[in-house]
Amino acid sequence: MPILSLIILTPLVGALLIAALPSKETDLIRRTALAFALLAWVFSLGLLAAFAFGPTGFQFIEASNWIPTFGIQYKVGVDGLSVLMVVLTTTLTWISILASFKPINDRVKGYMISFLVLEVGMIGVFVALDLFLFYIFWEIVLVPMYLIIGIWGGTNRLYATMKFVLYTLVGSLLMLVAILATAFAYQTAHTGSWVGAFDYQALAAWAAGGHFANDLQILAFLALFLAFAIKVPMFPFHTWLPDAHTEAPTAGSVILAGVLLKLGAYGLIRFAVPLFPFAAHTFAWPIIVLSVIAIVYGAIVSIVQPDLKRLVAYSSVSHMGFVTLGIFTFTAASYQGAVLQMINHGLITGGLFLLVGVIYERTHDRSIAKMGGLAAVMPIYATVFGFFILASAGLPGLSGFVGEFLVFVGSFGMAPAIAVASIIVMVLAATYLLWMFQRIAFGELSEFLRGLGSHLTEIDRTELTTLAPLAFLIVVLGLFPSLVLDLLRAPTQVFLAAVGVAVGG
Amino acid sequence: MSWADLGTIAPVVAAVLVAAAILIVDMILPGRRNAILVTALGGLAVVVAVLLAQAGHTGQAFGGAYSLDDATVFLDFLFVSIAVLTLLFAVDYLESRGLPIAEFAAILVFAVTGAMLIAGSTDLLLLFVALELMVLPGYMLVGFARRDPYSTEGAIKYFLLGSFSSAILLFGLAYVWGITGTTRVDGVAAALAKVVAGGPLSPGLAMGLAFMSAGVAFKMAAVPFHYWTPDAYQGSPTPVTAYLSVGPKVGAFAIALRLFAEALGPLKADWLPIVIVLAAATMTLGNLVAITQDNVKRMLAYSSIAHTGYILVGLAAYAGGQQSGLSAILFYGAAYTFMNMGAFAVVTALQRRPGVSSQIATFAGLGRRDPWLGVLMTIFLLSLTGIPPLAGFWAKAYVILAAVQAGGWLSALAVLAVVNAAAAAFYYLRVVTYMYMRDPVGETEPSSPGVLFRVGLGITCVATLIFGLLPAFVTAATSAANALHV
Repeated sequence: MPILSLIILTPLVGALLIAALPSKETDLIRRTALAFALLAWVFSLGLLAAFAFGPTGFQFIEASNWIPTFGIQYKVGVDGLSVLMVVLTTTLTWISILASFKPINDRVKGYMISFLVLEVGMIGVFVALDLFLFYIFWEIVLVPMYLIIGIWGGTNRLYATMKFVLYTLVGSLLMLVAILATAFAYQTAHTGSWVGAFDYQALAAWAAGGHFANDLQILAFLALFLAFAIKVPMFPFHTWLPDAHTEAPTAGSVILAGVLLKLGAYGLIRFAVPLFPFAAHTFAWPIIVLSVIAIVYGAIVSIVQPDLKRLVAYSSVSHMGFVTLGIFTFTAASYQGAVLQMINHGLITGGLFLLVGVIYERTHDRSIAKMGGLAAVMPIYATVFGFFILASAGLPGLSGFVGEFLVFVGSFGMAPAIAVASIIVMVLAATYLLWMFQRIAFGELSEFLRGLGSHLTEIDRTELTTLAPLAFLIVVLGLFPSLVLDLLRAPTQVFLAAVGVAVGG
Repeated sequence: MSWADLGTIAPVVAAVLVAAAILIVDMILPGRRNAILVTALGGLAVVVAVLLAQAGHTGQAFGGAYSLDDATVFLDFLFVSIAVLTLLFAVDYLESRGLPIAEFAAILVFAVTGAMLIAGSTDLLLLFVALELMVLPGYMLVGFARRDPYSTEGAIKYFLLGSFSSAILLFGLAYVWGITGTTRVDGVAAALAKVVAGGPLSPGLAMGLAFMSAGVAFKMAAVPFHYWTPDAYQGSPTPVTAYLSVGPKVGAFAIALRLFAEALGPLKADWLPIVIVLAAATMTLGNLVAITQDNVKRMLAYSSIAHTGYILVGLAAYAGGQQSGLSAILFYGAAYTFMNMGAFAVVTALQRRPGVSSQIATFAGLGRRDPWLGVLMTIFLLSLTGIPPLAGFWAKAYVILAAVQAGGWLSALAVLAVVNAAAAAFYYLRVVTYMYMRDPVGETEPSSPGVLFRVGLGITCVATLIFGLLPAFVTAATSAANALHV
């Protein structure tokens, strides 16, 4: 059974079905969207269950010729890393759709279609094994997110969404040139035959042989790096993120933080580093420095943010810095830490955005200064919020800790100074997160909140339903990180082998 | 001339007969809209049938002045599609403004006949005559709304600059004829190959090359020869603008293929720098100016200049040694035709009632008051931006691939092209922003286009969706490019 195509097509079928429904049937549209998102989730769990943990290489490969003139294929397949990302995507998507039931009342049809198309693109990116196909899915992600921020976003949404699109497009179009140049280099080396020129496995094998010329590697790597660094986002390409996050509707922020940022990190791991190992080594140090700057800078800027969403957004810059640091340290521990951190960040930050959304639904405000004493009126909400805050601060026993810890361990051998700097940031993270939590949850009920009176209701069952799976996974992965690490064993070997070639040659 | 010659040029003959038939029907049944439409569309269907019968065949007519090959058939299909779509989009617009349909249809078909003749011309003289046959009706179409001063102004500007550029082109052709002693494309190529082998370019040939480049650049509206475009485009009745933005442009590229790729092929090292500069200037300036436009018609006019630039990248890639540049030009031409006509069609639909302007404010809230038009316009604009999996993306990808293959300066041109494409997203998406993210001002009545119009929109939309996804189209473009004698 072509399970990967099934997972990609399920949301697409859902989107087409919703397109055929009358716009007035908002409830039916919402339920249909949720049903298809859940279906895709179930399929992805099936994929996880059927996936063989041990062997290296890709599984469930489906390949067929598409544009034979240029050797472009429809080729998909997964390794442990892809499986994790697919499951993360399908999980966060249904949660986001459920979380949108109440807040989104305007043009529900378009919203749900956008969300399902977005899911198609995201899953496609994680399973594509043809560079051209990958690029297509990569760009497909852009349009629904542009609409989601631009139509259902906040007051400054037009500026934010345009900035998001232009940043992403500049990066991705240069990536297209790099992909084409790489394919052409492969084609030239293979007596002018396009067969395999866009095939990831063929290209990776070719790269492993050290066949790509160094100057091509440098240029192509820089183009890919720019595209992915913008998406991650790495310092100094991060300026679109706070705007996009602040203006996006809650579910949009969840997906943006939970999955879209991971697309960039995934691209670095899957394509930029293994295909261009020489260049990856050449630029490893500058990238590590940028990562550390991101980690420190994101944390410091978070402290002074007056807006809840902006604070979480800047904390993302800091947390994603650990991911890029882990990737470019080139050790087993840091690689696994980076991937774990990707998942944790998706779960924890996704949860935080949902929680900010809960309070925004009731107050239509997100400024920290206006809140205060929430714990007294909404005790359950405050408890859940506290849980996610602690997870984000890296409390041992919860999943956030493991990823960051592994990155420390991995990078310590390489440069102790960097590891130490990162540990200091953990203190900073605890500062801005706990201080923010203290300001909104404890003390006297603020004037502003008192004015809302009975509007300030406790978190409801639907909202808890969206948060529960995330909290569950945070605890489970915190206690048993091996669940993920087992899946990553084979990809780690492959990644390190790909990088190792350049060290030797 | 023999019967076999007539068979070879059958599509052109059929097209001329269709134009004549329209005029005759209008004389017998004056003012009968349906009779004229049946004649025109039915006649064009016959032309398509003739083309289908010719597909895959090759041949020559009039001693080699006209060639039938895959390139001819490919371009002819494109030109007939342009005629059909223009007609489908024009009917409502013309009727509501009291403009005669029969004349419009006849002039249009004559123009397209000229374009089809260009596609098959392998003789410089025939090429020039065909070009004039294409552009002269174009002047009339621009001034078709003769009571509208803008339309007249646009027509005069277009006519003056158009005639001027034709003369310049002819002047250049004369030099080539003088030096090579022949007007046959293959003869010219053979003679020039010897000239090139003999050392540097003679002054006469250099001047000829300069004149021909300028002339063709005028016709395809490449910067700095683009000044006629925005006024002619904005002044024309919108369906005519739709036609102008694709018909004469693809026609001009057909000339470039026959004249530059085939006849002047041996000189490609000499005209490569010209094309690189033209391409770089055209896409950059077209985009920069398009960003500042508040009128969608004018914005699309400048964006069509930018697209000329992208297509020129394909020509440059060919001159840089990559045959795939030619197939990229043909594919781009086809993709661009459908998505751009679609975008103009939506503008036309909004302007169905006289008095509605093409200012961007007209689009505010369109997604709400007219969901279908909104979705279609979004698809066309995303395709023009180059977002996958739509046709425009594949067109750009093939052009860039060809440029990357050629390497050297062409790689830099490829990078410039994608930076431009990203900048273009700004003004294309600005329209989407107006349609979906702003509230409508005044005007809230749905435009409810007629049946023919919907068919046209359906064709352009389906084409925009499937051109890249199905391998058949790129295969067709490739075999058409391979048929060129280069």
